[in-house]
Amino acid sequence: MKIECTIDGKALTLSVNSNKPLSLILMEDLENQSLASYCRGNACGNCVVLFNDEAALSCLIPAFRIRGAKIKTFESFQRSRQYRDIERAYKAIGNRPCPSCFNAKTLIIESILQDLTTDTGHPSASTPSKEVVLDKAKVARELSLNSCQCMDMAELIQIVEIALGYRNRRRRVRRS
Amino acid sequence: MYEGVRSPLIYTPRTIGEFATVIRRHPQAILWAGGTYLMSQPDYYPGEAKDGIIDLSHMEELKRITRNDRYVEIGAMVTARQLLSTGRLLLPPILQQTLQSLGTQVVRRQITIGGALCISDTRLSLSTTLAVLAASAEVKLYNDSKVTTHWIPVAKLYDKEGKLNLGSKSALLTRIRIGLEFGDFQRFVLFGDPIRKSSECGIVALHAKREQNSLSKVQFCVTFPRKAFHISKDIESKLSGSALPIHPEKVNSLSYELVAELTKMHNTISDLQLERARRIFESFLHDLNSQSLS
Repeated sequence: MKIECTIDGKALTLSVNSNKPLSLILMEDLENQSLASYCRGNACGNCVVLFNDEAALSCLIPAFRIRGAKIKTFESFQRSRQYRDIERAYKAIGNRPCPSCFNAKTLIIESILQDLTTDTGHPSASTPSKEVVLDKAKVARELSLNSCQCMDMAELIQIVEIALGYRNRRRRVRRS
Repeated sequence: MYEGVRSPLIYTPRTIGEFATVIRRHPQAILWAGGTYLMSQPDYYPGEAKDGIIDLSHMEELKRITRNDRYVEIGAMVTARQLLSTGRLLLPPILQQTLQSLGTQVVRRQITIGGALCISDTRLSLSTTLAVLAASAEVKLYNDSKVTTHWIPVAKLYDKEGKLNLGSKSALLTRIRIGLEFGDFQRFVLFGDPIRKSSECGIVALHAKREQNSLSKVQFCVTFPRKAFHISKDIESKLSGSALPIHPEKVNSLSYELVAELTKMHNTISDLQLERARRIFESFLHDLNSQSLS
């Protein structure tokens, strides 16, 4: 099956099995180094990608659903401005996830930040910005998508809190 | 890798009429809703899909949520996330709690209501909750050249082990209907991880209406993934009409009756699962008592 899609900003035409999971396409056909998932559907949460700008488990997306989609892996995400917010939060805490889950956890944090900043609505220049109250239980539940236990949950929540602060500050600066 | 694996054909009907044409030609094709359960199976890829895959994601008719004064109808391809965000003010709290328990936000974007109800071999939270809410599902059966539409209560879609039983291989669940007149006592508890450790998991849901000092319309369902989908008519009828608060001795005896029923009808449930389900059921009744006294 021939599928056209955009992966990490490159428009590609892939010739793959129609039901092949996106995670395998990325790892085997495109030799993407940022993804490492061999749980075979056991929900390890290591294969997170941004699928049309929303975080998704790539092992749950078949090839026939990626037609025309924009897929961003950690490889291109780490060059974005959004990544810098999370990276600064890691530095502020002085800890970061282990190399095997780092990429996935970072993308999950990005997904949480996106949700938190869009749930309150992207305030236009005329509307005053709302302060986001972090629902820690909800954030912990989202972070549990990745089963790696390398980091304490409290620390991860702190990272989300700090990164959210950076993100909001950047948005305020851009608006003003 | 997997060079020898044949790529299955993908059919993408856009209307229910087109779907009928495709399913008649390919009755063995796999119906693909969100795909979260199908793809989380260890033998999913490389796997066989001889008669192809019918992708339902292009059928707009299945993505609608409509409501009137009496009920809300939810299309089978509505995702758990959409339902949670659009139905926040409308849906009963027990359903919202269930939708939140389906997984994280990332997974809920993909899980569809129809897909969650039509998993062939195991029952998870949504079926349990919809069964206690007395929801019904519209099922279209495609036999030869005839299409018949049936409204089937969700509780009757499954056998006692929780296996899907639609009556025909060529069937499509199009929407579900939930009444908007629900009881004021709703409880839902999920213990264990239904995906990572389904053998230790259990789901208990209770829905009832309190009228003055008595209970009515009691609906109770307990599910153990891959093992049991149990609706106890006996316990429901014993609880319906009983005066509140329920005597602690009666609570105790009812909970042990539940255990006896479960062991008699389903011999694969572990002792730990039974004990946890019993205690949760008891806690529901104690909770009911404490609410009636306050």
